[in-house]
Amino acid sequence: MSFDLSLIAVSLPKILQGLGLTLNLLAVSTLFGLILAVGILLMRLSRRAWLVWPAKAYIYFFRGTPLLVQLFVIYHGLPQFGFIRQSVLWPLLREPYWCSVIALSLNTAAYVSEILRGGVLGVDKGLIEAGKALGLSKFQRTSRITAPLAVRLALPAYSNEIVSMLKSTALASTVTLMEMTGVARTIVADTFAPYEIFIAATIIYLVLVWIIQTGFTLVETYANRHVRKT
Amino acid sequence: MKFMTGLLSAAIVGLAVAMPAQAETLRVGMECTYAPFNYRTPEGEMAGYDVDVAKGIAERIGVDLDYVCQEWDGMIPSLLANKFDLIVASMSITEERKQKIDFSIPYRVSVGRILGSKEASLKLFDEAGNPIPDAFNGLRFGVERASTYAKWVEAKLPGAEISLYDGAQPMLLDLQNGRIDIAITNPMKAYLDFLSKENGAGFEFVSPPIDEVEYFGPGVGVGLRKGNDELLAKIDTALDEMIKDGSLEKYSLQYFPFSIHPSNWKGVGQ
Repeated sequence: MSFDLSLIAVSLPKILQGLGLTLNLLAVSTLFGLILAVGILLMRLSRRAWLVWPAKAYIYFFRGTPLLVQLFVIYHGLPQFGFIRQSVLWPLLREPYWCSVIALSLNTAAYVSEILRGGVLGVDKGLIEAGKALGLSKFQRTSRITAPLAVRLALPAYSNEIVSMLKSTALASTVTLMEMTGVARTIVADTFAPYEIFIAATIIYLVLVWIIQTGFTLVETYANRHVRKT
Repeated sequence: MKFMTGLLSAAIVGLAVAMPAQAETLRVGMECTYAPFNYRTPEGEMAGYDVDVAKGIAERIGVDLDYVCQEWDGMIPSLLANKFDLIVASMSITEERKQKIDFSIPYRVSVGRILGSKEASLKLFDEAGNPIPDAFNGLRFGVERASTYAKWVEAKLPGAEISLYDGAQPMLLDLQNGRIDIAITNPMKAYLDFLSKENGAGFEFVSPPIDEVEYFGPGVGVGLRKGNDELLAKIDTALDEMIKDGSLEKYSLQYFPFSIHPSNWKGVGQ
């Protein structure tokens, strides 16, 4: 078993060709996931059972099954039905890119809505009561007090979710997409050198995670600038 | 008691001496999941074209066989690590592999063919059997990752819109679902698993057999560690005999309605 350091150096630029797609998948699904998550959060926090239960079921389903299975159901499973291939959705579902975005977005929405719910529940009741006492309307209390504080509380857990999403984009390589892991797997199959190539991919993922972590630390510091450190 | 033990030992020694020299056992590496070339029957027996060839060789050179099931990506490393002595696993003879191991003469052709929908009535090749690069424009082309087919497509059709797959199964599924327009693969597997089944009814071969030696090598051979020239010569002689006496022909026809060994390749029937 020989270990070839130069192979790492040679494969790094090749794997970086998949960086664009990796970041694209991450950004697009995070955005869609966040929008969806806010919707699910509002349903989940509602007092009406017919809104709460679908939200709970959604969260249970998407947190309770592996992302890979969800992706396979969307990619391989849905086209088994003829009507889906005739439907207006087919131009979208035909593309491995959109199948991946849909699976990643639906999955992350379940987690993010729970992360945000944790933030909302963490907001001090006293502050909301103070808002009531000052005569703020329900909408004002939500937008001025609950929402900003909830976001601040949810940030650390949310950064965790983004890091986790970055790694999940690697699953898109199982449905023919050539993001970083897809490129790496192709080089491995050509060179019979899994260690060197996957180490190269690991290095890039670690750099990306470091950037995300540092970014979130900055955002957290900014968001908590009014909180005095004791 | 001592007497009894002595008698017993004497009997054992006598037995060992009286026994004819044990036939040598060769361990054969294969995937055991690659029907109809090497696989297990529901009864647990090894079967398939590769298995028949391995048995034919063993019979002719007078050895016993042991089968070792090994995943494809570890096949060459395991041979080199002495986990088994021969690879009889539908492995194409390529220059890259020849740098690490030796190969026998080919016992099966190595060939690819492109599949497409019947409705589209694609014309991708000219009369001489060469691909027309323009005809591939706008077609999504399914290819198995790092296969001999991928090498051919990259060299001949650098502009093709390629989707890379990990195996033939998911690729043919996507062909059926319309995610890709054409796909290149082993015509024998494609015929048995797809075209001859209900799922593949709307599809056909849209290319002649593609087997340029530069990309596909001379065919599929038995692989063995370098430095076993004596065994290699015996295997080559055995294979040559099997081609001449029609054994390979007989094995082919058990699985396919056509021959698949190099001296008698006529292509897959439509």
